[in-house]
Amino acid sequence: MDSSSEYLSLEEPRRAVHLWRYTPWKKVHPTGDISDIPDEVGSPRLSLKCIDGDVPEGVRLIHGAGPLEGLPESDATTSSFIRAITEESSWTVEVDRGFSPGKTVILEIEVESPISAAHVCLKIGRHANLELVTHVKGECEWLGLLRTGSTGEGSNTSDVVVNVLNGGTLLRVDAIHIERDSQVKAGTISSGSETTKSDLRYRMGEPGGNLNVLGSILSSEDMSLDHHIEIHHDAPETFSRLDWHSACGGKSKTVGTGMLRVAKGSRGADAAQLFQNLLISETAQADSIPELEVSENEVVGCGHGTASGPVDEDQLFYLGTRGLSTEQAKSMLIAAFLNSTLSEMGSPEMHDWLVEMLTDDLDALGI
Amino acid sequence: MSQPSEAREAVGDYKAGWHDPENSTIRFDFGLSEKVVRDISELKSEPEWMTEMRLKAYRHFTERPMPDWGNTEVLEGIDFDNVCYFLRSSDETGETWEDVPEDIRNTFERLGIPEAEQKWLSGVTAQYESETVYHSIREDLEKQGVVFLDMDSGLKEYEEIVRRYFGTVVPFSDNKFSALNTAVWSGGSFIYVPKGVSVEMPVQAYFRINAKNMGQFERTLIIADEGSSIHYVEGCTAPTYSTDSLHSAVVELIALPGAHIRYTTVQNWSNNVYNLVTKRGVAHEDSKIEWVDGNIGSKLTMKYPAVILKGEGSHAEVISVAYAGAGQHQDAGAKVHHLASNTTSNILSKSISKDGGRGSYRGMAKIMPKAENCRMNIVCDALILDEGSRSDTYPTMEVGNASAHCEHEASVSKVGDEQLFYLMSRGHTEAEALGMIVNGFFEPFTKELPMEYAVELNKLMALEMEGSIG
Repeated sequence: MDSSSEYLSLEEPRRAVHLWRYTPWKKVHPTGDISDIPDEVGSPRLSLKCIDGDVPEGVRLIHGAGPLEGLPESDATTSSFIRAITEESSWTVEVDRGFSPGKTVILEIEVESPISAAHVCLKIGRHANLELVTHVKGECEWLGLLRTGSTGEGSNTSDVVVNVLNGGTLLRVDAIHIERDSQVKAGTISSGSETTKSDLRYRMGEPGGNLNVLGSILSSEDMSLDHHIEIHHDAPETFSRLDWHSACGGKSKTVGTGMLRVAKGSRGADAAQLFQNLLISETAQADSIPELEVSENEVVGCGHGTASGPVDEDQLFYLGTRGLSTEQAKSMLIAAFLNSTLSEMGSPEMHDWLVEMLTDDLDALGI
Repeated sequence: MSQPSEAREAVGDYKAGWHDPENSTIRFDFGLSEKVVRDISELKSEPEWMTEMRLKAYRHFTERPMPDWGNTEVLEGIDFDNVCYFLRSSDETGETWEDVPEDIRNTFERLGIPEAEQKWLSGVTAQYESETVYHSIREDLEKQGVVFLDMDSGLKEYEEIVRRYFGTVVPFSDNKFSALNTAVWSGGSFIYVPKGVSVEMPVQAYFRINAKNMGQFERTLIIADEGSSIHYVEGCTAPTYSTDSLHSAVVELIALPGAHIRYTTVQNWSNNVYNLVTKRGVAHEDSKIEWVDGNIGSKLTMKYPAVILKGEGSHAEVISVAYAGAGQHQDAGAKVHHLASNTTSNILSKSISKDGGRGSYRGMAKIMPKAENCRMNIVCDALILDEGSRSDTYPTMEVGNASAHCEHEASVSKVGDEQLFYLMSRGHTEAEALGMIVNGFFEPFTKELPMEYAVELNKLMALEMEGSIG
């Protein structure tokens, strides 16, 4: 069955399903009519560059995306829908075995059409060292972004997605397989698009995988940002951490839902999830639902936590005694809160580049 | 005492698993219909409004689909047509144990209820199948105006109060099982504590299912008037049969300004009972509601004691433990809704999974936009004792006010080898060491129980831990 037929054969997802509890499919469908698969879907412009200098040998962008093995099971509705509209707009970022350029590679995705979609496949070779920033920018009403990928054995990857879209809706679906002994830092930075629905899934299907999922989310005005993160431990001796920081201002709403699933046989799994929400305006709302399913008893430990609160009064007072106004102190604390995960996503070089790019957004919010 | 071998195999070594011969005075046929609902109401000579409410609830029950969340596979196993919805074992409620039919009295004696009553209780109600068979309250409390009745008598004697509060905390439309309970409820407790009266010793209700394929649908309503306090304790057991029984209760608590209600449950149903209960309290200004909830038995428990913090300065406390053994799924948790400012809540949940059992915590903590300066803290700990067992945590936190401080943490682990090694180096066997660790794990719950319950629970857990090493 092709993707279009598969999508059309599915029923509307139920609200009782964890993924769809807060942002229903109808709300993030490009036309709002869920029986519709739009014909006119634009293809964003994709290009590779480096922060400093030319794109090094050993990494390339190829048109088309092949199938990958070991991917986590994605939500049938979103993945079949995006696959159906990205048949002509799929790309592969191919990274050679042993690649180690020592600099950050940027994948720019620039959107121009009102409705756009792209499928990006990451194929990372064995023992490669890759630092990749996927920079999503431009203006559109709706962007669908499907990212599939497999990290090669023993590889070391920083995979950061930055969403600075000017308004509109972003539907992002990630399905990444963490190979044997590979280390992955998966970062999400979101301060763009009015509505975001993202479903990020990672499968640790081989022993020795090490995954660190990080989020720096800034919502303001009427934004509605809903991120769902699933981590599946399907092999022994796997390690995962999730640290998700959301700062919520204006009348915005952020949702962070997590699912940590430790399958039977995943002995020695060590997994933890932490969602933290900083409420910076009285009308903002933050919801967190970190779920845990553990079917193996020989685990190092599995846990999750969530905390929500306003800017700490003691910290404001402390900075006040150092001569900062309340507004300056508040801005500094919010920036520090977001930076605590941002700074863990990659090298100092990448961090400086990200901070410079995001400064305008923070300034616009008075942060 | 008879115990079919197939049932013994199915449910293991369950202490309260005997059953008595069934000597019912009225027994309805299996299955649910509008006629069954009308007959129950007529049998109890209820006022018209209650019959109407039952019928509306019945219609809602038939229209409402089964929950599409939780352990839907096990839930689908409930055969509503193969349940007896009303069974009367005794024609009247006894005021002394001598008034209770001998076989039923023996049952409660074996469960230790009359003995406990003499020692440490302010009042007792004992429900056998659908109705209360024994009821008593200390004279001094009665003189102070404390009302402690079975729900059927409460409706007869205090109709106005019941009409004012019944279904206000848990409306029949809340969920499929609250609709079922409202349609066929029978028994349960009705308690009213007048202004400023503090009931020092706990009152207890004991629920026993004896018959096969029985449905028990008690309804409890507790109203604590301004500045009063009460501690209500309930215990539950059932015989071991190879067919399933259904327990679907609704409990409504109303804590008026400054009142304090503590509701303690030690549920030890046999492993053939579906335990699907809706428990909810409304806390007014400066009042406090505490749920202390222990779930040891049952096939599937779905129970999430809830508190609606409606009045400023009110507080909710939920302490729950669950033990999930072979063939069991304990899906328990807590819900707290902060509607008013300066409200606080604490949830502590602990579960143990063993022999392939599944323990789940499912919670909802919500802070409404207009509720300023609220605090909530949720802690869930789970132990998985062996291969094949499972533990899940499904918490939800919705924070709609920026001044709120909310925290949730959960952990799943096995019993630490270091802990076992330490205790064994002090001369304990491995099994003893495990038993001590498990009792220590449950200690935040047991220390909140009346002593007799705590001792019994510790013994019960030691029994469950037998054979878990090696």
